[in-house]
Amino acid sequence: MISLADSFTLAFVAAGALLFLAGTLGLLRFPDTLSRLHALSKADNLGLGLIVIGLLPQTQTIAGGVKLVCIWLLAQLSAATASQLIAGIAARRQPDA
Amino acid sequence: MSPSTIPRLRPSRSALLLRALGFLALWLALIGTAANDWPFGLLAAAAATWASLALWPPDSRLSLPGLARFVLRFLPQAVVAGVDIARRAMAPRIALNPGLVDYQTTLPAGLAQGAMCAVMSLQPGKLPISCQASGAMLIHCLDTETQVGAELAADEAAFLRILPERGRHG
Repeated sequence: MISLADSFTLAFVAAGALLFLAGTLGLLRFPDTLSRLHALSKADNLGLGLIVIGLLPQTQTIAGGVKLVCIWLLAQLSAATASQLIAGIAARRQPDA
Repeated sequence: MSPSTIPRLRPSRSALLLRALGFLALWLALIGTAANDWPFGLLAAAAATWASLALWPPDSRLSLPGLARFVLRFLPQAVVAGVDIARRAMAPRIALNPGLVDYQTTLPAGLAQGAMCAVMSLQPGKLPISCQASGAMLIHCLDTETQVGAELAADEAAFLRILPERGRHG
């Protein structure tokens, strides 16, 4: 019998992993560079968020939880910024991509 | 909200201290409170405060209720965005109708526009490609048949509520 916290973690981390899988599938299957960027930035961000939420009940200290949330926020910020920069370059190279 | 329209105020000491303490708290949360690490933490907090003065001028203000409402709107949208991608990526046949859409934003150039673009790239089906100082934006959409223009206007209105009255039309 697993505890409530553990089943919460299992459910959220599994859902997060599924979204990472979906993001990777999109990266491979979507037809052009810009559409692939959508797949990466959006699905992976939600996946990471779900994994962070799932891991929160497992943290031993408050500082550990704060660190996890900081990682998610920083990853969101970098994904949002990087995907725009790559999109700008990709659009300039192939105007009809 | 460009520096030319609003005279740059000398940042007050308490505002600076508050920022420095915030950055130090972030450092401590990420690195830990071991005595050996403190000097680096203080150095990093000072450097971050200095950088923040240029990137986020001390005279810019945010509306907290507006920010709270925005976050409450943003989180479900981020979930919709991720699920939307997952659904499309796992479909037996990829059904996309990608294309570029023009949009004219009324947000002041600089930080506000940059933040709006960053947030937009996490919203369902949209990815900003370029944003000029004039407010002309080019946005890549996964499905150009949806009501992109209306969605963008609603997003922008929600974003605008974060800014206090004074900063809205810089």
